[in-house]
Amino acid sequence: MIRCKNLHVTFNTGLPTEKCALKGIDLEIAESQFVTVIGSNGAGKSTLLNSIAGDVNITQGQLFFAHKEVTHWSAAIRTKDVARVFQDPLMGTCSDLTVEENMSLAYGRGKRGNLSPALNASLRKVFQEQLSRLNLGLEDRLQSEMGLLSGGQRQSVSLLMSALQPSKILLLDEHTAALDPKTAVLIMDITAQIIEEKKLTVMMVTHSMRQALDFGSRTLMLHEGEIIFDIQNEERSQYDVSDLLKLFAKAKNDGETLADDKLLLDS
Amino acid sequence: MSLFAFMGTLEIGLIYGLIAIGVYLTFRVLDFPDLTVDGSFTLGAAVTAAAIVSGIPAVFATMMGVLAGTLSGLVTAWLNLRFNILHLLASILTMTALYTVNLRVMGKPNIALISEPTIFSPFEKLGMGIPNIYVNVLIIGLIVFIVGLLVIGFLNSQYGLAMRAVGSNKRMAQANGIVVHEKVYVGLAMSNALVALGGALFAQTNGFADSTMGVGTIVIGLAAVIIGQTLIPSRAMIVIILSCIMGSILYRIAVSLALNASFIGLNTSDLNLITAVLVALALVFPQVNKEYKAKKAAWKKV
Repeated sequence: MIRCKNLHVTFNTGLPTEKCALKGIDLEIAESQFVTVIGSNGAGKSTLLNSIAGDVNITQGQLFFAHKEVTHWSAAIRTKDVARVFQDPLMGTCSDLTVEENMSLAYGRGKRGNLSPALNASLRKVFQEQLSRLNLGLEDRLQSEMGLLSGGQRQSVSLLMSALQPSKILLLDEHTAALDPKTAVLIMDITAQIIEEKKLTVMMVTHSMRQALDFGSRTLMLHEGEIIFDIQNEERSQYDVSDLLKLFAKAKNDGETLADDKLLLDS
Repeated sequence: MSLFAFMGTLEIGLIYGLIAIGVYLTFRVLDFPDLTVDGSFTLGAAVTAAAIVSGIPAVFATMMGVLAGTLSGLVTAWLNLRFNILHLLASILTMTALYTVNLRVMGKPNIALISEPTIFSPFEKLGMGIPNIYVNVLIIGLIVFIVGLLVIGFLNSQYGLAMRAVGSNKRMAQANGIVVHEKVYVGLAMSNALVALGGALFAQTNGFADSTMGVGTIVIGLAAVIIGQTLIPSRAMIVIILSCIMGSILYRIAVSLALNASFIGLNTSDLNLITAVLVALALVFPQVNKEYKAKKAAWKKV
């Protein structure tokens, strides 16, 4: 479903601050595969997701969705196939707009907006049905401003919004990292439900080793813009959190990672 | 204030209602502070006046003025989007350039339209003894009403909602397949078209176009938007657009009251100070009101 061929992304080309964020990623993700992506800060995880979504320009290499080459497609066109949920709950929704207006925007994802009314009774019913799945009582708050909702509520709505339109690829960029543990579990449950239901191809960036192994069927580790580790299915089931942490330490190649590892183990 | 003076105030208030709607579209919907309006207001007036003087029927002349305004909005958007010039600066550049353009269009600093046919002339002839000012207010009211309805419908549409999303959260808009640049172009074009329409109508009701008539348009537009939204706060588009128009009329009434109250001793040249004070008051009021309420609630607890 997603195929990256020798993908390079360089920021500030030609400047002293030049940074190679991705150095030749070769990756093939099958349809409805759920891939978790781990790696330390600055490893290029978010850049990989952004380059697939089209937010970051690909410097070199090719990107395919199924058999279509999309390397030079704009982010807006790619949204026909790609839905995403951001780490920051404030990022995935518009705080100035109401819940129903936000959902209406997501409902029109990948279509050209026309001049017909953005909201009507039948749409509101669809939104209410969807919101009631969350059990957060949001179905009665369609007209509330998004900014009045809590972070967890906003992230839940973002997640629902990403599934309102049929898409093939779902990109999750540490979408539970900013939430309290209880809400994070709730969000992950809904995520798993939606993925199962819609048979989506998923890439999920996470800092939690537990999550990385518990969800999906394949795990990638990125380090300094390269995939250094790729396990799936049976092979993966033999790994546990401590194995991943050892790999982390090996990648970093120094002893100072201990404090980091503790953090990772806790989450 | 005499009835006659009141109608004059209403007329100009309604015309600047169009500008208020335009300013609302850029400042509030797109979050794009656009100072182009100081130039595009004059541009609308200048193009319309020059066209009328050269014998073009007033309706077409007005349309030409509106089109010119649209183009000036597109120039600002282009400078900002294509070359990453800060929005405020891009609009100041366009505004500055338009000053020269306006002089070129008119060929002289001002054009008199007193004896020329305007879009109001046919109705004034039909008016049968009713003073022209009433006829003008009626026609302008009708134009503002239609424009207001169109803008409300637009902002409530899928396209309009996408534009509001662009102003609120660009990244989210893009992640939902909205082409951000296109929305900014369309928004600035619409806003400056409305402002130029205001300029065209102003020139025709007041009987002149002048190269300096646009100075301070942005502040008056902002004043109208802020006064309107302070007095009638709402989320509904219909109320918001209505409050822009009401804000504009109230602003004009406040100004003419201030100027007419002889005991204060203000005269016409004090207009800018009055505007600044009114806008400051409208901005301060919600803040003070909030603090007052919070204090009152705290007192109750004690």
